[in-house]
Amino acid sequence: MALPHIFEVTWPDPTKLGVDSKSAGLLLNEAKETFASHLGTRSDEITFLGEPNLGFHLGINGLLDDASNFKRLVYSNVDRMEVFAIAQANQQLKTIELSAEPNGRVDYSLCLESDVVAYQLCNRETGIVQATPPTKGSAIFVDATASGTRLKLPDNWSTALWDSTTWAGPSGLGIFAVSKRANWKSPLPHLDGRINPGPTSLPLIVASALAIDSWVADQKNLAAKIAAINQDIRQYISTNIPDADLAPLGEPHLLSASFLYVSAEQLVTKLADAGYAVDSGSACSAANMQPSHVLAALGLLTQGNIRLTIHHSTTFEDIKGFLDTLKVTVEELRGK
Amino acid sequence: MQTLDCLGKRCPQPIIELAKALKVAPIGFQITLLSDDPATEPDLSAWSRMTGNSIKVVELNKYEITKLAD
Repeated sequence: MALPHIFEVTWPDPTKLGVDSKSAGLLLNEAKETFASHLGTRSDEITFLGEPNLGFHLGINGLLDDASNFKRLVYSNVDRMEVFAIAQANQQLKTIELSAEPNGRVDYSLCLESDVVAYQLCNRETGIVQATPPTKGSAIFVDATASGTRLKLPDNWSTALWDSTTWAGPSGLGIFAVSKRANWKSPLPHLDGRINPGPTSLPLIVASALAIDSWVADQKNLAAKIAAINQDIRQYISTNIPDADLAPLGEPHLLSASFLYVSAEQLVTKLADAGYAVDSGSACSAANMQPSHVLAALGLLTQGNIRLTIHHSTTFEDIKGFLDTLKVTVEELRGK
Repeated sequence: MQTLDCLGKRCPQPIIELAKALKVAPIGFQITLLSDDPATEPDLSAWSRMTGNSIKVVELNKYEITKLAD
């Protein structure tokens, strides 16, 4: 379905009566089925969010909202800032912040049966994967916003959040799931059983469902290429650019590298001028002027940092050109 | 001990100036670095691991560095 056609067929409100609304409702249900099959949930466990990061609040606070039972929130120092905000916002809440090892792994084995655990499948900055999910815990919120369909939910998940951009879908769409087994209560004021006040853009939902279908089909053929590209980048940087600090390998579509004595702001700007869009975790490139808490937690260099996302369409030729530009630019900035 | 005042200077400037000050100095040379940039503490620790020099946090925004490698 082409984008203009999606907008044509998705304007009616799927909750109303009438033929157009009914067919819009069918599209919504089909989309839920599609996401459920790729994400490993039931279709009636899925809710769409127009603000993906609202899902951190819904997913975690909805599990804590149980006055009869005193609970602790357990999370890690490489979690997203949204998780820190939730831990800070509730003064009565007992919180435990676990520290990641230098390899990025977090040990959840000390969790208690009554704990609510925020568990990150894959780190958005480094790609580092948590291989051992918490086995204990009354409830587990799974942050799948960086892994998308690449990593499976742990069996004991309670709530989970994905971001449509991880399968090259439109931005501004979160997929939020509440397990039927979970003891979850909406932390938002509500009169009925709706999880999200909504309405969420149906065109975005349908476009994202089409994107996830084609992304998953492509991933089968392209995963090996992406892993090889990641390896090439690491190899090149280690061999050709001195004083570089690479984050440990995780999911291969993500890579984080820092260069000593280099301003990330200048590096990112120069790379952008050469046609390469890269992100950075350095303080000078952040809105709050703070260095990346993830890099600092792992003891990695925060200055001169670049974060790369390798896309399905990225080619070995793209990377060769990029790496040559990177080397020259780092040398040039260090020479100043 | 020599003091390198980088207060008010943003990352990566303090570490660049520190490396310059150490470049011509002999092994064992010590210097105090003053820096209030939020990236200095994590980056000094990473710099120490990468370059083999030693750092000590004296107090907030004050670090003592010993050159141990060229």
